[in-house]
This record gives sequence, structure tokens and C-alpha cells, in this order.
Amino acid sequence: MANAIEVHNLTKYYGDLLAVDHISFEVRQGEVFGFLGPNGAGKTTTQRMLTTLLEPTEGRIIIWGHDLARDPYVVKRQMGLVPEESNVYTELTAWENLMFTATLYRVPRAERARRARELLETFGLWEKRDVKVENFSKGMRRRLSIAMAIIHRPTLLFLDEPTPGLDAQSARAIRDLIRRLNAEGTTVFLTTHQIEEANQLCDRVAIINHGRIAAIDTPERLKAAFRRVQSVEVALEPDGQVHGGPLGALPGVSTAVKMGDKWRLYTEDPSALLPQVVRYAESHGLRVVSLSTLGPSLEDVFLEITGQQVGTVQHETRERGTRRAMGEGDRRRRG
Amino acid sequence: MRKEWLQRLRDEVAQAWAVAFKDMRVYYLRPGMIMFGFLMPFFMFFSFSVRREMAAAQGVARLLALTVFFTAAAAGPFIIPLERRLGTYDRLLAAPMSLLSLLLGKAAVGACFAIGVSAIALIVGVVAFGAYIAHPWMLVGGVLLGAFSFSALGLVFGSIPTRNPGDVQMPSTLLRWGLLFISGVFIPLEEMAPAARAVAYLSPLTYAQDLMNHAVLGMGLLSPWLDLVVLLFAGILFLLPSIWMHRRSRRLGY
Ligand SMILES: Nc1ncnc2c1ncn2[C@@H]1O[C@H](COP(=O)(O)OP(=O)(O)OP(=O)(O)O)[C@@H](O)[C@H]1O
Ligand SMILES: [Mg+2]
Repeated sequence: MANAIEVHNLTKYYGDLLAVDHISFEVRQGEVFGFLGPNGAGKTTTQRMLTTLLEPTEGRIIIWGHDLARDPYVVKRQMGLVPEESNVYTELTAWENLMFTATLYRVPRAERARRARELLETFGLWEKRDVKVENFSKGMRRRLSIAMAIIHRPTLLFLDEPTPGLDAQSARAIRDLIRRLNAEGTTVFLTTHQIEEANQLCDRVAIINHGRIAAIDTPERLKAAFRRVQSVEVALEPDGQVHGGPLGALPGVSTAVKMGDKWRLYTEDPSALLPQVVRYAESHGLRVVSLSTLGPSLEDVFLEITGQQVGTVQHETRERGTRRAMGEGDRRRRG
Repeated sequence: MRKEWLQRLRDEVAQAWAVAFKDMRVYYLRPGMIMFGFLMPFFMFFSFSVRREMAAAQGVARLLALTVFFTAAAAGPFIIPLERRLGTYDRLLAAPMSLLSLLLGKAAVGACFAIGVSAIALIVGVVAFGAYIAHPWMLVGGVLLGAFSFSALGLVFGSIPTRNPGDVQMPSTLLRWGLLFISGVFIPLEEMAPAARAVAYLSPLTYAQDLMNHAVLGMGLLSPWLDLVVLLFAGILFLLPSIWMHRRSRRLGY
């Protein structure tokens, strides 16, 4: 099968900061390719280079057989772009937003209105077509932003984190849309930091962190790595700190890492571990102050795949203080 | 092959116009635009330039030069940084159009605003104060070229790699005032000391004012053709730093 995107040694420095570090990959025609990584991994930077918005420091990008640096015009006509924020014109109505984009992408005049209507209906925005977008909810804006990205029927669609900040129903609607577009033949490049989203949507997933790709594989085959880095977090009183040894020795625990006043116990099967932790506390006369299970974090997945010690990176990320609140919220499932 | 180029050219023109039209709709009512673009020239006119004994035609010539200058140059430094911050500028940069078309579309925004405001100033001058226009066609050409040229000047500031309109408002305002005070708007060229006049020649506004004098009063110090040519070349010249800074933004990631 032909390749939609071929990337060779792509590199981006912002001044001295190495944001993307000599990555190479290809995206096949017709697939949904996931670009999965934690905050600051270099996902947006990569996508901006692929969509001509950012000049690479080094490396080559070939899209549909055209070198992007030399022949951007042909490629741009084939691409649709849904950026991180929904960059719609809030002073215009939904209809005007679509008409403007259609003109920008030279959709034939006769087809513009028909196509806009079709999209607004599919996206459930037809009734609101004459409402100024400043009155739209976040989910509606996101849908409009996707509609604007595909009005010219692109063969390659880039989406940068299309679902965070949306309620479950809106997020599901958008995932369904992506699936449908893909079924109609659009190749999709999907940037996300949600493992579950990548699982549900992608044919193949690249895992990126600190500007490097750790693995590219099907979600199915990456799942084993995801499973190994689930964990249970427990705080015990009194003197919870001293119980790390015995907790780490409980059956099924691969590593125990101290996180402040808590212990994080990595395991493939959190639900089997929970009752054991409770039993341990009871038998030693300890009080369980808090107990929760954590889904796999991307940082951990990355470390697991690259064969590094799991659980060491959390401190560093917290110190960096650049994490957005949703990163934590998304992966934490209270047990 | 030839047909393809013609089609591409048509596309680019349509795209540039779509950008300009959209911007005009979205931004004409923004406070920043009203303040710096629409009120400023009248403010400058009434506070510095109006004299009791001045003839109506003379007042119109000055007001036209001021509106063309201030209104046209106000759009660029305001709109582009704002769009960069909102992320909507990416939409334009990712679109299949050349950077030059995008810039010309953006230049058209300020130019159209300036043409509109000067038309109002002109109508008021002619209807309410009975000003007589010596060369109407020269006036039209002068307003068009001046509007384009000063709008391109505004784009230079709009192209500075930043997402904050506040960052460029200051330097662009300073430069505009500087150009205004050295030019021959407040003091006629012929009354200036030679050194001052030499400095005045550095400001494109001097040529716009001289051209307006020709068109409205029927007399000026320089040749009207020289004025036109200088305005045209200034406009083209102003596009170059904008292109250069857009390339830089693409490297820096703004
Ligand atoms: N314009 C810029 N100038 C300087 N540094 C930048 C710029 N844009 C991004 N960076 C830095 O480059 C690194 C990668 O950022 P990028 O936005 O690509 O990450 P991301 O994977 O998209 O993260 P997120 O999940 O937060 O969107 C980060 O350390 C970020 O701070
Ligand atoms: Mg990002």
C-alpha cells in the first residue's frame, strides 16, 4: 500500500530546546495513525511541521509523494487541519465560517453551499447555522472546526487532540466522526495523550516522549506494555512510609515507588491487588487513608517500552509544572 | 500550462479577497480598530492641524492625508497578532495560497478601511464646507496608492513574531507619530528649513500630502508623478520585511 506520509530524521530545535529529535516514521494510506505522548512530548510540534506551519530544523517530509519543503502547494490542497484549539471565527456564524473556508480552499462555487449544508447536518449544527459562533459550546466549536477542516474533502486529515475538554457524549460523537471519515477513505493523523482514545481509533500508534519515538505498533500489541504499568496507590497510617518492602513483595506487584506519603504499586492486575493491600493493612493494624487504582500513564508506558525504571519520571514531570490539569484527570480512575 | 497559471492566479486573487473581506467584517467594530484607525486621524486633525484661517480645501487635503495614513496603518499591527493568539492565523497559513497573496489580502483590509474613512472625510469636506477638488482622478489614485502603501507599512508591524497585539502597538504607534511629525502635513514643505525638509523627504506621508495638495488645491511642491511613484515603491518595499518576518515566525513557531 502507498504511504500518505513519510518522515525522515525530522528534527526541531526551538533555540536550544530540542523539541523533536530525529524521528522517522510513515503513515500508510487509509489508516488512522495515532501520535500518542504526554504533555510536552513534541506532538504539536511534529504536526505543525507536517502541516507546513513550522519549518523543521532538519529532516524530510514527503506527503503523497511530494517533498513538503519543495512542493507545499499541491500537498496543502489535500490536507485538512484541526488544530489544538478550535480556531473558528467567533464573530462569524457557522455558515459564514464554512463559506470562508470553502473559498480559501477553492471549493467550486456551485458545490460550496451543498457541501456546507451536508456537513452542518452531519455535525448536528444545521439549526444553528446562522448563530454567531461566540454563542457555541466547546463541543459545537470543535465540531465546526472539524467541518471546516474537511469541507474541501481532504485525503489526509490532521487532528491535534480533538477530544480533551469535551463531555463524554461530545467526545464520543467526534470519535464516531473520525471513524466514519476514515471509512470513507480519509487517512487520519491523530495526536492524542489518551491511551484509550488511541486504542479505540487507531490502526497503528506511535509513542513519543521527549521528542523521540519509542515504539510504533498496533494498539493490540502495545496493550501488554500498557497493562504492565497500571498501578495501585495507597496511603497507610501510622508510619505508612516504612511498609514499602512488604507492600512491594505482595503477589503481582512488580515495583513499589514512594510518591510523597503514598506508595505506588505497579501491577498488571490492580483489581486483584486491592483486596490484598486491604488485608495487609488490617493484619498490621494500619488505617487505609486512601486507596486508588491508576490506569497506565503515558510517561510510564514510555519508560516501560524503552526498558527504563518505571515510576521515576513522575517527580520530574511534577517539578516541571507544565502539565495541564486534564492529563492527570484523564488517566486517574478512582477505585 | 498557461491556462494552469491563469487559474492559479484567479484562485490567489479570490483567496486574497476572501481574507480581506472576512477581516473587514470581523474587525471593523473592534475597539482597537475604532480607536487607532477611525478616531485617531480626526483627533490628530482637530488638535494639531486645524487653523481658523485655513481654507476648506486645505483642510480637506490635510484630513485626507491623515485618514489615509492612520486608518490604513492601524489594521495590520492589530489584526495579525490577534489572529496569531486566537490560532486563526494558522488556518490562513495552512491554506493553499501563497504568502504574498495572504499579505496582499491583509494589506487590502487596511487599505479598504482607509478608503472608506477618506471617502467620508471627503464628502463632509465637499458637502459641508464647499471644498473644491481640482483633480478628482488624481485624488482617487492618490488615496488608493497611499492606502495600499501605508497599509503595507502597518503589516510590517503585524508581521513581528508575537502573539500579543500589545507588543507591537507601541512601536508601531511611535513610528507612525514620528513619520507624521517629520512630514509636511503640519508645516508646508515650502515653509520648512532646508534641513527639516530633507528629513521630511524620508517620510512617505510627505509625498501623500503633496499629492493631496496637487489633487485638491491644484498645487504642490514636488511632481505628482514623483509622489505616486514613491508611494508605490514604498508599498512594495514595505512588503519585503513582512515576508522576511513571516519566514522567521515559521522557524520560531509563532
Ligand atoms: N514556539 C515555541 N517556542 C519554544 N518552545 C516551544 C514552542 N512550542 C513548543 N515548545 C516546547 O517544545 C516542547 C514540545 O512541545 P509540543 O507543543 O510539541 O508538545 P505536545 O506533545 O504537543 O504537548 P501537549 O500535550 O501539551 O500539547 C515543549 O517542551 C514546549 O514547551
Ligand atoms: Mg500539543
